This record gives sequence, C-alpha cells and structure tokens, in this order.
Amino acid sequence: MPDTEFNEDDVLTQASQGDRDAFGLLYERYIDRIFNYVYYRTGNLHDAEDLTARVFQRAMNHIQNYTDRGVPFSAWLYRIAHNLVANWHRDRSRRQEIPINDVPVLPSKGDHPERNLVRSQEQDALLRLIRKLPSERQNLLILKFVENMSNAEIGEIMGRSEGAVKSLYHRTLLALRDQLGDQNINLDGE
Amino acid sequence: MTDPEDQLFTLEEHLAGTLKPITPPKELVSRLRDRIHFPERGEIVSRLGNWKRLFIIYSGVMSGMLVIITVARALFYFWGKRNM
Repeated sequence: MPDTEFNEDDVLTQASQGDRDAFGLLYERYIDRIFNYVYYRTGNLHDAEDLTARVFQRAMNHIQNYTDRGVPFSAWLYRIAHNLVANWHRDRSRRQEIPINDVPVLPSKGDHPERNLVRSQEQDALLRLIRKLPSERQNLLILKFVENMSNAEIGEIMGRSEGAVKSLYHRTLLALRDQLGDQNINLDGE
Repeated sequence: MTDPEDQLFTLEEHLAGTLKPITPPKELVSRLRDRIHFPERGEIVSRLGNWKRLFIIYSGVMSGMLVIITVARALFYFWGKRNM
C-alpha cells in the first residue's frame, strides 16, 4: 500500500486521543527511518531493535504531549530516538562491553543483495571514524546521508539554524579528512 | 597533492557509499510490532475505513433527524397559528 494513503495530521489527532490503530500507521511510516538512525548510532542490531521499540513505546505514551509547533512529527520522533541513544551510550560507557566494529551488514535499499555481503575495509574504517565523532556530528551525518535530509530538516531535528548545520557539516568533513590522514587511510586508492 | 575541495568531495562520495539506508528485516519489524501490540497495517487501514464509514452513517442519520424535527416544528407552528 502506498505510504501517502493517509493524512498524517488526521492520524496524529486520532493517535493523540489514544487511538492505537492510528499510532500503528505512524509506526509503519517511520519504523524504517528510526531503525536506520538507531542502527547507525549503535552499530548493533540487537540494541537497535530494543531501542527502536522503546522509541515507539515512549512516543505512544507521550503522543498527547506532541503539538505541532512547526516541528514535524518526524523531528519529535528523532529527538526521542536521540535521547534514548544518548542514554544507551552513557550506560554502555559505564559497562564497556560492545566492540565498536561489530556492525552486521544489512541489505541497503536499492542495492544488489550480493554487494551487501562485502563491505570494504575502507567503509569499515570510515564507520569506525564516524563512531568516534561527537554525537552531534554523528547525528548530522546519519540524517544527511542515511535519511537524505536537507540542512533545514536536520536543523529542525537538532534545534539549530540551517546555516549552523551547514557550518557544522563542513567542520565535520574537515575533521574526518584529518583523521583519515592521521591514520593513513587513502580513500582514492580503489 | 590533491586539491582540498576535491578531497572533501571524495570524502562525501565515500560517506554516501558507506552510510546507506538499510531495510530492517521483516521479522524484526513484525517482532517490534508485536512488542508494542500493534495490529497489521492492512487490519489498521480497514478498521479506520470502517470507523470512517460508521461515522458518516451516524452523521447522516443525525442530520436527517434534525431536518425532520425542524420541519415538524415548523408545521406545528403554522398549524397552531391558523387555529388561533
């Protein structure tokens, strides 16, 4: 069924009045995006599943608090996801247990399945570097590349202006380039 | 030595190749749905459809009754006036 079949405002109104079926439609619409975000932020399929479930549970319990003040529902959901991921990182840093490169390969949209089985060493190295970036910069890269969002949309989620996002993005690229140089990783050498 | 702008462009290309949207496994989506106790999408859509149909029927009946009551009141008014 096409995703545009329902009017999100109507469904949001029903969901905020406690209609679980209406919330189920929102779940169907946003599950992929939230899962992608959490998966890239945790690098761990099991925790991504657990956190994604908690994002939707929390959203469902607090949806009556969501009021459209120019911030789209998706931005509200991403903020919940961001807070839960931040808590997860805090707890994890206390326990120190999950290896940073333990990222299973899941099928990318539009990719040939066989291509997904092989992820190059370069991509692994780049992912490891991305995970070492400050949380805000990781968010920015995930929203930009995984979710394909514009700077303005990212700004809505991160609570920053479009210009600030653009500037942060540029600084992030420079930082990544420098770190790649420090570790002698050459991206041109394909 | 590569131009700094070219380096950033190359980096962006690699980021686009690395940070690709992934499809969560279907069983995971359905497991999550069960965890949060949601019905299937098709079931939800049909329920909402039925709910809308019921609402339209209910509104129709109420509007019809309102018209009948208004006409009846008007008739009583004119009939009462004629008999005065």
